[in-house]
Amino acid sequence: MIDPSSRWNPTSSLGRALTVGGVGVALALAMGRPAVVVLVAPLLVAGAMAVLHRPTREPRVFASFAHHQLHEGQGMRVRLESADVQDAEHVTRAMVPQPYLALHPVEGTLGHLLGAEGIEPIEASPRRWGLRLIGAEKVAFTTAWGGYRWGPVALPGREVAVLPTLSHFHSAGEAPQPIGLIGAHRSRRDGDGTEFSSIRRFHAGDRLRRINWRVSLRQGDLHVQSTRAEEDAAILLIVDALADFGISEGVGGSESSLDVTIRAAAALADQYISGGDRVSLRVLSPGGEYAGYGTGTRHLRRILSLLSRIRPGVPRDVAIDQIDFRATAGTVVVVISPMLSESLATATVRLVRRGLPVIVVDPLPPGSTPTVYPDADAEVAALAWRMRLLDRNHLLARLSASGCPVVPWNGPRTLEEVLRRLARRGQLPRVGGA
Amino acid sequence: MPSVWVLRGVLAAATMLALLAGIPEDYTPSVFVVVVVALGATVAMFRPEHLALSITMGIVIVWWALQLRSEMPVAVLVVAAGLIVAHVAATLLAYGPRSLAVDPALTVLWGMRAAMTWTAALAVWVVARAYSGHGSPELFWLAGLAAAAIGAVVGAAVAPLRAKETRG
Repeated sequence: MIDPSSRWNPTSSLGRALTVGGVGVALALAMGRPAVVVLVAPLLVAGAMAVLHRPTREPRVFASFAHHQLHEGQGMRVRLESADVQDAEHVTRAMVPQPYLALHPVEGTLGHLLGAEGIEPIEASPRRWGLRLIGAEKVAFTTAWGGYRWGPVALPGREVAVLPTLSHFHSAGEAPQPIGLIGAHRSRRDGDGTEFSSIRRFHAGDRLRRINWRVSLRQGDLHVQSTRAEEDAAILLIVDALADFGISEGVGGSESSLDVTIRAAAALADQYISGGDRVSLRVLSPGGEYAGYGTGTRHLRRILSLLSRIRPGVPRDVAIDQIDFRATAGTVVVVISPMLSESLATATVRLVRRGLPVIVVDPLPPGSTPTVYPDADAEVAALAWRMRLLDRNHLLARLSASGCPVVPWNGPRTLEEVLRRLARRGQLPRVGGA
Repeated sequence: MPSVWVLRGVLAAATMLALLAGIPEDYTPSVFVVVVVALGATVAMFRPEHLALSITMGIVIVWWALQLRSEMPVAVLVVAAGLIVAHVAATLLAYGPRSLAVDPALTVLWGMRAAMTWTAALAVWVVARAYSGHGSPELFWLAGLAAAAIGAVVGAAVAPLRAKETRG
């Protein structure tokens, strides 16, 4: 069955012109009133002209998208390709409003006479990470003299992955226990790096270009300049998407806890992958998004894509405190969580007790409140939230006491000082086994 | 959208003008008719595709048919202008959803179309005035309808050119 809206149909304008005009002529003839013919003559002419422009071809339209992925705040033009629109004089586009989608024109509606340049695009800019439906709209064509309309026909649009924004910041903070073979972190071992370590006697196998001639001449023996090796670190990002607290207004506006979490995870992944480190992502959500250790632009894109697909909620099939986070020795674990889940706190403490450097990044924006049921007593809800925050503060204090620094997210530099402290602590001599 | 509100105002004003244009020539409608037409125009302002405008225009035409017998006052031309302007305003408002801003190029095009169709009323009026009291009633009607037909044909010949000019 053909959708009636996808065919040309007479408009109310044509109906009005012909009906009122026809009634006027009939009245004039029946009552003998020549003046009435004067009154309705323009309407009859308008109706006649509209009928003269009766369309013969069915238009075809489809939307074209320039991008499949966007970052928050970026924009794209949603274009309409059309064919067989010679009978149409005017096009109307009305985009369906979507949350966190800014449109230009602001209302998402556009109407203009069809010219040689075709149909004007509508600009769309997603304001928040996630999967966003772009291009869902209704399109209508109207013939000359407004006699016939095709549509409005609904176009489904496309789901576009909106990636979190990146700040492209490169940290000067060292990884506490770099373990890999390549990378930019200073190792505790001597090796083929650039940072000075010591001057020592020449050993077999040392490179000749490492010989320090001044010291060798003074000592009467060959000495070489040794450097520290540069290694990569393994970073495990644990993202708490169990719930979202606070109000999100999209990029540039106020942030919810999940906004801060996602943007922090994206910034950290970008920062460490750019530095040659291997980064893994584990999301605590119903989707259980996971990316193994990897490096490179492709891996970063995969992590950002996974972050954009997150929907908050409690994992259904696995208990949080039983998750194997696959963190090998030396891995820096960054837990981005408001720590409102005791099971996640337990899992974090377990990682600390394994001797891993663990940092908790607190994404809870100040003054944020949870979403409560509309029929809930506001006072009781506020009281319950205050108690929950007190519990949280207690939990964070205990985590700090167990050797796990807790820092509020304050941009990509957040971890620098903490990592330096952890690195210094890692270089101190230890008594007994780890 | 300010342009939409302007167009709504034009629709209501044109409808009322079509009813009240005869006041200087002592064609004064009753308060009841004015209220009914005003209500119809108000509905049409917000629902331009509704039958309300057709009914309201019908009421105006019937009222004038009851007032005029064989007279052909100048006010008739103003009434014809009011009716076509109200029709065009409603047509422009019906091009899209309420949030759609009125396209200036489209408004200019329809302004020209309205002026052109109004010339048909002028032609019928001139012919009717010329023949009033000279010819038989049958001759009068033939002359009027012939003038309307000529107006329609001239309009059909000119309209596509106008549209192309505006688009270009």
